[in-house]
Amino acid sequence: MSAARSARRFDPHRFGPVVGLLLLLIVGTALNPDFATWDNLMNVLTRTAFIGIISIGMCFVIISGGIDLSVGSMAALIAGGMILLMNALAGSVGSPVAVVALGMLFALLLGGGFGLAHGYLITRGRIEPFIVTLGTLGIFRALLTWLADGGAITLDNDLSDAYGPVYYGSLLGIPVPVWVFLLVSVAGGILLNRTAFGRYVQAIGSNEQVARFAAVDVDRVKLLTYGLLGVCVGIATVLYVPRLGSASPTTGLLWELEAIAAVIVGGTSFKGGEGRIAGTVIGAVLLSVISNILNLTSIISVYLNAAVQGCVIIAVAFLQRRRP
Amino acid sequence: MSLHVAFDGITKEFGPVRVLHGVSFDLHPGRVHGLLGENGAGKSTLMKILAGYHAATSGTLSIDGEPVVFRTSRDAEKRGIVLIHQELSLADDLTVAQNMFLGHEIRRGWLLDDRAMRARAADALRQVGFERDPDTKVRDLIVAEKQLVEIAKAQLRNARLLIMDEPTASLTPSECDRLFGLIERLRRDGVTIVYISHKLDEVERITDEVIVMRDGRFVARAPTAETPRQRMATLMVGRELTDMFPDKHIPIRGPALGTPLMAVRGLTVPGWAEDVSFDLHPGEILGFAGLVGAGRTELFEGILGLRPRSGGTVEIEGRPVSLRTPRAAMRNGLTYLSEDRKGKGLHVTMGLRDNLTLMTLRHHARPLLSPASEERALEHAVASFGIRGNPQGTAASLSGGNQQKLAIAKFLEPDPRVFVLDEPTRGVDVGAKRDIYFLIARLAAEGRGVIVISSELIELIGLCHRVIVMRGRRVSATVPADRLSEEELIAHAIGTNAGTNIGTDIGTNARP
Amino acid sequence: MSEVARYSRRLVLGAGVAMAATVALGCSLGGPLGSAAFAADTVKLGVSIPAATHGFTGGIVWWANQAKAELEKAHPNLKITVKTASGAPEQANQLQDLVTVTKIDSLVIFPFESAALTQPVMQAKKKNVYVTVVDRGLTDPSAQDAYIAGDNTAFGRIPAEYIAKTYNGKANIVALRGIPTTLDNERWEAFTGVLKQYPDIKILDGKYANWNRDDAFKVTQDFLTRFKDIDVVWAADDDMAFGVLKAIEQAKRTDIKEVFGGAGSKTMVKTILDGSNPLIRADVSYSPKFIYDAIKMTAEARLKGDRLPATHIIPSALITKENAKEFYFPDSPY
Repeated sequence: MSAARSARRFDPHRFGPVVGLLLLLIVGTALNPDFATWDNLMNVLTRTAFIGIISIGMCFVIISGGIDLSVGSMAALIAGGMILLMNALAGSVGSPVAVVALGMLFALLLGGGFGLAHGYLITRGRIEPFIVTLGTLGIFRALLTWLADGGAITLDNDLSDAYGPVYYGSLLGIPVPVWVFLLVSVAGGILLNRTAFGRYVQAIGSNEQVARFAAVDVDRVKLLTYGLLGVCVGIATVLYVPRLGSASPTTGLLWELEAIAAVIVGGTSFKGGEGRIAGTVIGAVLLSVISNILNLTSIISVYLNAAVQGCVIIAVAFLQRRRP
Repeated sequence: MSLHVAFDGITKEFGPVRVLHGVSFDLHPGRVHGLLGENGAGKSTLMKILAGYHAATSGTLSIDGEPVVFRTSRDAEKRGIVLIHQELSLADDLTVAQNMFLGHEIRRGWLLDDRAMRARAADALRQVGFERDPDTKVRDLIVAEKQLVEIAKAQLRNARLLIMDEPTASLTPSECDRLFGLIERLRRDGVTIVYISHKLDEVERITDEVIVMRDGRFVARAPTAETPRQRMATLMVGRELTDMFPDKHIPIRGPALGTPLMAVRGLTVPGWAEDVSFDLHPGEILGFAGLVGAGRTELFEGILGLRPRSGGTVEIEGRPVSLRTPRAAMRNGLTYLSEDRKGKGLHVTMGLRDNLTLMTLRHHARPLLSPASEERALEHAVASFGIRGNPQGTAASLSGGNQQKLAIAKFLEPDPRVFVLDEPTRGVDVGAKRDIYFLIARLAAEGRGVIVISSELIELIGLCHRVIVMRGRRVSATVPADRLSEEELIAHAIGTNAGTNIGTDIGTNARP
Repeated sequence: MSEVARYSRRLVLGAGVAMAATVALGCSLGGPLGSAAFAADTVKLGVSIPAATHGFTGGIVWWANQAKAELEKAHPNLKITVKTASGAPEQANQLQDLVTVTKIDSLVIFPFESAALTQPVMQAKKKNVYVTVVDRGLTDPSAQDAYIAGDNTAFGRIPAEYIAKTYNGKANIVALRGIPTTLDNERWEAFTGVLKQYPDIKILDGKYANWNRDDAFKVTQDFLTRFKDIDVVWAADDDMAFGVLKAIEQAKRTDIKEVFGGAGSKTMVKTILDGSNPLIRADVSYSPKFIYDAIKMTAEARLKGDRLPATHIIPSALITKENAKEFYFPDSPY
């Protein structure tokens, strides 16, 4: 395209996460040859899918200058809610496939609804997003714990069999969740970079006042970013539930931190305004590769796992830091 | 006791932009110097170099004959040089006493000695005539009181040279009088004073000599008593006004005839504007004059729906419209470019293209945004508005004048019938100013209605077909082109005794 | 992300969870109850336990409330106040409230951490509160009147002995651990201690999976990638065993002969009883029911004015198809 664009493209800092990921891949292969196998890579990508999909929604929220701390709890509550619904429908609706389809639809609607509720409280209620979502973080998980009586909510067996392929199935040798992750990533990238909505999100995060004076409907755009994130959480949950077929108070624990970390490690500014979907995807993969490598070796004391992860995250953030 | 300051060949560059081109002059001890110049003449930059906020790119600054380099404002303060900022630099949430000792706290061991600080603060405050408790939060002070606190703070630091940048911007006449009394007393105590102001009557009243700068250069210095105001103005502007402005007698299509393009009736923005009515005709440039706080900006923010309105109607091209958001205004053919360019006008960290097309993205969506189409819009704008700078850089990389041109281009992208510009030439150099004036005239000639809100009377007089003057939230007068003069506008802006407060500038730049 | 972060996060999350538990337990909980005006023969018993953040603690909360319901019905002059906490500091605060506001005279506490709660419990005891400590002993035993616990050593020892016996002293084992705590260490040391005597039993590796199904799934996936020949997975917790089973199922591995969980959850016991999963054949009991036993024993002793024995260990037992019926409580959530 233009000179400055290509100049920016050659900015080494932009490639921090990619460089970090490549280094990790090399280290992983060196430590354990099984790391570089197709099966292991698919395992890692599949388990990244939930966090990755949520991260893409989170990317929009963070670019717009917001934050959502509730995504993990929201996923847990959606998981619990959809399992309860599917179990209840199993009697009245004949085909397990139809029940599962209804459950999935319900999850997406519930996610979108929760997200819009956040957006509504933040834009109309004029409450800080940090506070709104910190509040719902507690509320969602509490509701799930209540629904589950402190234990687990488990999907009926025949439904589990009908639903299983959504997580365990493959298409052209690539697991379904990875396909979905890919689709959501591409859609997210297009939405952010090639639509008016995406531009508005960036404009609001960069300077909300300027956007408002430039006739951008700031409240509506913000509302939609939270709704979008909610739908992403819904999609992630739809993929998550068939894995274990259950939801418990530990479901989605800390997902919010992982999702936010993936976004920031991927080069999105925590202050908002500027962000990258591709970076976010790489950030999410990078985070799960770290723990994969740690699981595949025992050269480092298990007590130090967290320290290794912390060092890698800081190192990657350093590689992609902005010049002042 | 007093300080003798000598500037010798001072230059200053901000990136590629050179704002000072080798300035040389002296400040004599114990005198009050009026430093004059238009916006962008380099007065503030030079004074910030003197007070240690900026470093000169080249040249020498000498204090009492000794060359010095101030790395921080602290270094300058040690030599007794204190700058009182145009935007007062006090922390709102701290008390008066805490602010006065900020960074210079008195300690007793590890702890702060609040009692001693309070006592010394009270002492200094009494000397400047500040009568409130030093434990008052600065947030609760009015601007004039903050000013006194700043001066008292400077005295605490044993200031030998005090720089005041537009100190009377937000003061009432009686507060001004008190300040002038204080300046007189400081001078008697041997303090050297640099007084920056656009208000020539004040300069005439309190300074011993005037120093004029223009376009980053020293122009002239002369004893105040020998320099009539007219001479000061001519030195500042440096050219005949007629050069700056386009020919006003462009045939316009009968402003008095037909339906007005925009008609506002009885509009009230609580706290800011009351019962404001006016018409704007196609091809007309309508000015809005008034003091700070007269409610001009807020009136238009109210019209755009950014502030609550409690009454009144707006019609555009004869249709009543209900404008609740800037978006609704845009759809009805009205756009508004704020006076706060960086805070409300442009995304300075974003590219030129993204800024330009933000309001009209729908035109470039098919349905996905087409970078090529946006690029064409930018090329067109760069050519037709004369925007100079790297078209692929960020808006922040442009000079003030080019940023303003980009902002104007941005708010013209939706092709408004009515275009409102608030302080269109603030922080813009003289060349770009002229471009903007001609651009405004061109927009009017195309049959748009243009509203210019400005604090620069010369601008309103040179540009507008009619000027509405606001005073105390209300329209106090509508002055037609043939009666436009500084005296007339000021008389309506301040309401009474027009003779005492004549200057080139009745507004200020100190809006928060 | 990190275990440490996860753990502390769990505590933070608990704020919400504690709220939930309070809501969930509903009106029956009651606030600070009654006045001290009743006769001395009224027993006010405070129960302080961790909030329900996973299956096991969910069971603790359920059994505690079960005890409250049954005992208050049986003894009108007994008032039980159940408080759940999501971390040691919160538990210490609740303890103070129980003593000063609710004015309890007896306390059953399941401490989050031994060290951090020793002093707060000591303070309560100094105010003449009769203290029964459950599960995790305090660092200074003089702070407690009675100690009732499940057998953590047996929790690690029994599966080790079972594996050694079933596989004739020859097996490859991978192990999942909980959250780095003394509790987890005790179990792990007991487990490895037994297996040291069998040179042909190899523990290939042990990784933390935080008593969490999802983490257990991931850790197991990576174990399966790393080790081609595994005989037994010691999941060390029934919740984690659930994730382990899913990962094995996905990888279609046939070398693994057995998954050994722990704690005797309802679903696991049912699976053993029905013989419905060939990988699940045994478990070790460590039922959250001991909180019920502790409350019951304390309340009844106090009503009579008796004292409890200083230490009472509720033995852990090997659960197999033969005895599974005794460990099956269909109403408990765990």
